[in-house]
Amino acid sequence: MTTWRLITDDNVSASFGLAADDCLATRVGTGESEPTLRLYTYRSHCALVGRFQNLDNEIHRDYCAAHNIAVNRRPTGGGAIIMGADQLGVALVLPGRADDSYSHARELMAQFSAGVVNGLQALGIAATFRRKNDIEVKGRKIVGLGIYRAGTGLLFHASLLVGLDLPLMLRVLHTPFEKISDKEVATVADRISTVRRELGRDIALEEVRARVADGYSGAFGVSLIPRVFTAAELDAISILQSQKYETAEWVEQTTSVPDALGSAKLKTPGGLLDVRVTLAGNTIKAIYLGGDFFAGEGAIAELEASLRWHSAHPEAVAVTLTAAYAARAADLAPLPLDALTQTIQQAIRRAQVAESAARSDPYGCFVTPNVQPQISNLEFGV
Amino acid sequence: MTYSFPPDLHYDRATHLWVRDDGATLTLGLDALGLESLGDMAYVTLQAVGVPARRGQAIGTLEAAKMVGDLIAPVSGVIAARNEDVLHDPGLVNRDPYGAGWLARIAPSAWAGESAELVSGVQISAWVVEEIKRYRSQGWIE
Repeated sequence: MTTWRLITDDNVSASFGLAADDCLATRVGTGESEPTLRLYTYRSHCALVGRFQNLDNEIHRDYCAAHNIAVNRRPTGGGAIIMGADQLGVALVLPGRADDSYSHARELMAQFSAGVVNGLQALGIAATFRRKNDIEVKGRKIVGLGIYRAGTGLLFHASLLVGLDLPLMLRVLHTPFEKISDKEVATVADRISTVRRELGRDIALEEVRARVADGYSGAFGVSLIPRVFTAAELDAISILQSQKYETAEWVEQTTSVPDALGSAKLKTPGGLLDVRVTLAGNTIKAIYLGGDFFAGEGAIAELEASLRWHSAHPEAVAVTLTAAYAARAADLAPLPLDALTQTIQQAIRRAQVAESAARSDPYGCFVTPNVQPQISNLEFGV
Repeated sequence: MTYSFPPDLHYDRATHLWVRDDGATLTLGLDALGLESLGDMAYVTLQAVGVPARRGQAIGTLEAAKMVGDLIAPVSGVIAARNEDVLHDPGLVNRDPYGAGWLARIAPSAWAGESAELVSGVQISAWVVEEIKRYRSQGWIE
């Protein structure tokens, strides 16, 4: 039977945690290190952005500095997260194949997340992998995923929410909301879940870790051998920590892809629809569908998930929305599809206008933490 | 679903990058099949103009569908230009992969030898058929 090494470590610093995964990915790719499943926790708390995100657009820097929350950047893609003692970090590091440099990210994500899905299901949680690369329970995200190809090594990252201080997360991470009150906390709570919430009990992270380990063993037919980092690996990690993950060059880097916020509201027969989108260039990075309409449990969260990290092109949005809406048509009946589509497209257009205006101003930034979304009370008929 | 592979281009088997011989420079981009399995491009970075490029080595990075990977040069030379429009709007690669969505231009140093490593001319058709079959068998495309 194939064996993988199992590393479990806890309370690691942000820079060590990331450097360790990055270093293993390169070394497993070259054969210097063995295939490894690492299940670990960060010291509470740190805020980690995805590979290309603009830090200032994602994180409340002042709050983090005042509360000793480390800020860093993952080598994997995806969005910003907080990590600490109640969030299980999963790093699966395997050798890649030489003949498919870029292909099948979605399939790889599904394959690699099977261990986490199995572990959650073994706990009695109905978790499923979603094609937009998250793991969800009844439409609520419970695990974030990402992949990094390091030469011929593959690093799969998952952040599993065993528990979560949601108000803290909303103080650390930027959202499309102008303010954070109980209403906004409840809005986000509708979209996110945790192991403890799903089980209705205070399960220890250690028990979740054990189920996830079993989940990978079963999904891949491998035997997991508990081992620690080798001395050579620790040396290499230390070098990568100081030369990359502890440098401003890595952590503070920015891209040319601008972020922009936009929103639109519409009174529908089912109630007020309030749409807020955050674009990264022409990709929908985040979308919230709020208001005072009624929809079946999880239906709105599923619509939002279908559009996250999705092209903002109006036709592409319409196609995806139509399919996602059809899947939950009964639950979404009070909210007409055409009204939903038009309002989302309106919010996107406003974000694009805001971004163009910012670009035309030679003294401005694309987005600053103080940029307010373009909100209009214009309503158009349904 | 059909996939376009312009017959005047050269294609790298491993990376699904295309190369167009423009004379003094070579223009690079991602082909339709590579993009189909990659998904919507979210971010692209490219090395600066003047930086050497070596076939098989990274000249940038890209993120699509939350996967980050290196952009591997199919040819050697020096980066002569990079598409700033794509850096600002990576989705342009998906929308117009063979036109406005080009990635970089390279002043080649070994084109005569390296072009033989790429698929071109009468070889394209058979290679594309096999690649589509392979991608479908793996479930990477429908």
